[in-house]
Amino acid sequence: MALLEMKNVSKRFGNLMVLDNVDVELRSHETLAILGGNGAGKSTLMRILNGTYPYDAACSGQIILDGKEVYFSTARDAEEAGIVMIYQEINLQLDLNAAENIYMGIFPRSNLGSIDWKTVKRGAEDILQNLGVDIDVNIPVRSFGASMQQQICIARALVRKPKLLILDEPTSCLTETETVRLMETIRQLKRQGISSIYISHKLNEVMDIADRIVILRDGKNASAYEKADFDADRIVEDMIGRSISNMYPKVDKTLKEEALRIENFTVAHPYARNKNIMENASFFIRKGEVLGLAGLVGSGRSELLRAIFGAIPKHSGKVFIEGKECEIREPAQALRLGLGYLTEDRKLDGIISTMNIKENMTLAILKKLSRLQVMDHKQENAIAQQYAGSLNIKFRGINDGIMSLSGGNQQKVVLSKLLMSHLKILFLDEPTRGIDVGAKNEIYKIINDLAKEGMSIVIVSSELAELLEICDRFVILSKGTTRREMDKDEVTEHKVLHACSGLD
Amino acid sequence: MIIPVLLFTVVVAFINPTFITKANVINNILRSSSFSLITALGMTFVMIGGGIDLSVGSIMGLGGVVTGISIQANIPIPVSILLGILVGVIFGLINGLAIVKFNLAPIMMTLGMQYVARGIIYIVTQGAPVYPLPAEFQSIEQNSVLGMPTVCWFALLLAVLMLFIQTQTRFGRATYAIGGNPESARLSGINVGITKCVIYSMTGAFAALAGIFMASRLGSAQAGYGQGSEMMIIAAVVIGGTSTFGGSGTILGTIIGVLFTNILSNSMTLLKISMYWQTLVIGLILILAVLLDGYKRKKSTAM
Repeated sequence: MALLEMKNVSKRFGNLMVLDNVDVELRSHETLAILGGNGAGKSTLMRILNGTYPYDAACSGQIILDGKEVYFSTARDAEEAGIVMIYQEINLQLDLNAAENIYMGIFPRSNLGSIDWKTVKRGAEDILQNLGVDIDVNIPVRSFGASMQQQICIARALVRKPKLLILDEPTSCLTETETVRLMETIRQLKRQGISSIYISHKLNEVMDIADRIVILRDGKNASAYEKADFDADRIVEDMIGRSISNMYPKVDKTLKEEALRIENFTVAHPYARNKNIMENASFFIRKGEVLGLAGLVGSGRSELLRAIFGAIPKHSGKVFIEGKECEIREPAQALRLGLGYLTEDRKLDGIISTMNIKENMTLAILKKLSRLQVMDHKQENAIAQQYAGSLNIKFRGINDGIMSLSGGNQQKVVLSKLLMSHLKILFLDEPTRGIDVGAKNEIYKIINDLAKEGMSIVIVSSELAELLEICDRFVILSKGTTRREMDKDEVTEHKVLHACSGLD
Repeated sequence: MIIPVLLFTVVVAFINPTFITKANVINNILRSSSFSLITALGMTFVMIGGGIDLSVGSIMGLGGVVTGISIQANIPIPVSILLGILVGVIFGLINGLAIVKFNLAPIMMTLGMQYVARGIIYIVTQGAPVYPLPAEFQSIEQNSVLGMPTVCWFALLLAVLMLFIQTQTRFGRATYAIGGNPESARLSGINVGITKCVIYSMTGAFAALAGIFMASRLGSAQAGYGQGSEMMIIAAVVIGGTSTFGGSGTILGTIIGVLFTNILSNSMTLLKISMYWQTLVIGLILILAVLLDGYKRKKSTAM
């Protein structure tokens, strides 16, 4: 019996056909994964389903839920019909507590019409306990880690009594252990009769959790597989429409002298007062080396890199570049010294959404492109075109807005911005988050090429498999410091996870 | 935006031919537009940079008063003018420094400065206009070059200069960057603090200049001059297409926005529509402009 049928669903934005007669069926008691590269139409399809994109003249096709045709014009309509979506970004009110967040918008009322706080509190506690989460629901959610916040998002979805749960990239800010916990939750919900649609770029995760996979490409159905027929290579091929022979390209190189050394870095906790997120962290990296910083979310990986780069203040600590001690208080100084930082969240502090592609690319080298303040537009165009070519950035015009690009291409724009300033050392914080397999592969190639040319690269990634493949050496962060080091030949996923959790 | 302005002009000209007489166009529309444009050019940068400046009205008044008092104290006219501008720069710089160093909301800091600057004017002048001012000083604004008042020429030159700065310089690019996403800009090595301070200082200088021109035109520096004009200027800038969220806008748009608001009030006066209605119409058009801005933003980030 099908719980949900979407038949011949099409949607256009202006002249652009983003969905072209897509068919998706969800059976009851099923976890269905929808895969596809950036721009394949997954998010659009889900937004039509959950009412964020109202079903209007630009849409066509049928949506049948429980045998009844349904068309939603707001997310609230969809929620009332039993379709609830959990978004990629955690969208909680950080200064409200868990109970308030969970019941936001559907507060139970007492006879007098005021909010029945007792029921709110008890309901929130019950639902969290069902999820295996034991927290104080009176504490502002700001003080919880990403994983716990994610659980609160799930609780908020469940309290709305969904028949169908949509999870859009729910693990993009979770670590491996937290991901495992989420998978267990989804299985448990399935046993309770809640079907889910699961969207993710992470193939191993999808193959683990899904009963069936539907693949979209360029707004059309590409293929579908039952659990027994899952095959990673074929799925990737269907997603990108060609085959990738070499997901993690290998290179031969010789490591040379030290490029950067960090000694005794102590960084304050961003949220908790009088607490340090990182204490006495030290590591070094050689020229041409790719170093992986492994740690759980909240282990201070990003904060450590940000503090070295001068983006946030440090308490103490020394930075040596090629043996010389440097004082870095502002990102501008770091860039002058040949140190660059690709931020974790490109929408938050990577791109400038109001500027065009070219302007985003040349942002860090405006000084070089100008004389006495006056910009050399010719040179700017030339250098932007050159990097767009060498990084294979795809766009219609280089003066188009940055938001017209897919996530992978946006990431390459931010990366080219850094590369233009001729760096010696590059920090990459989650360089492949939220981008499709094809673009990931290209980013790995770029990383390899840069290392081959002698650049030192420090990578933070929540995708452990990726980190293990592309790095030469690993520094493990746990308990607020650089706990230990591992070489490529001794490292395994198990060992790293163990060390990250502070169990060794 | 250009098309509705032209259309409107034609219609009004048809109803009341006085509207397109040389005297009305030059002496009323262009002249009054020039006064607002000088300050609006600075405001455009402030708003593209993601800020707002509510203190410009008071700084206009202050610029005129400082220059007027200096002239009366027998300080040479050019030096007096420079002193007026300098005071504008200092007040703008204080705005900028406070916003950068203490991370104050621009709207609150400059609102405070609006009162402070106006307060200083009243304390110094006791509310009385500073006059008489000598004929040489009055002639600065009252003279014409090639049939156009000097203030129009000055506003035009300043507009061309700002257009150049906006489109051709590193500072212009940095302004768009800090308005679009200050954190991205900082991480890309742009000095957000200095850029903001320069923008606010510049705006202070322009506002003071507008006030000095007005003192020259009237032959006296009025203690109340500029009161409320910050709102008209912000309205004109927004009608000209500058985003209230920062990150986008153009000098050309501001010129059109300023001309439009001035043409509108001038034509309504000629059509004998009461002042009270004019205020209401400008308000409605402002809301329309903001709606348009929101719509454009939504469209560009929808995908």
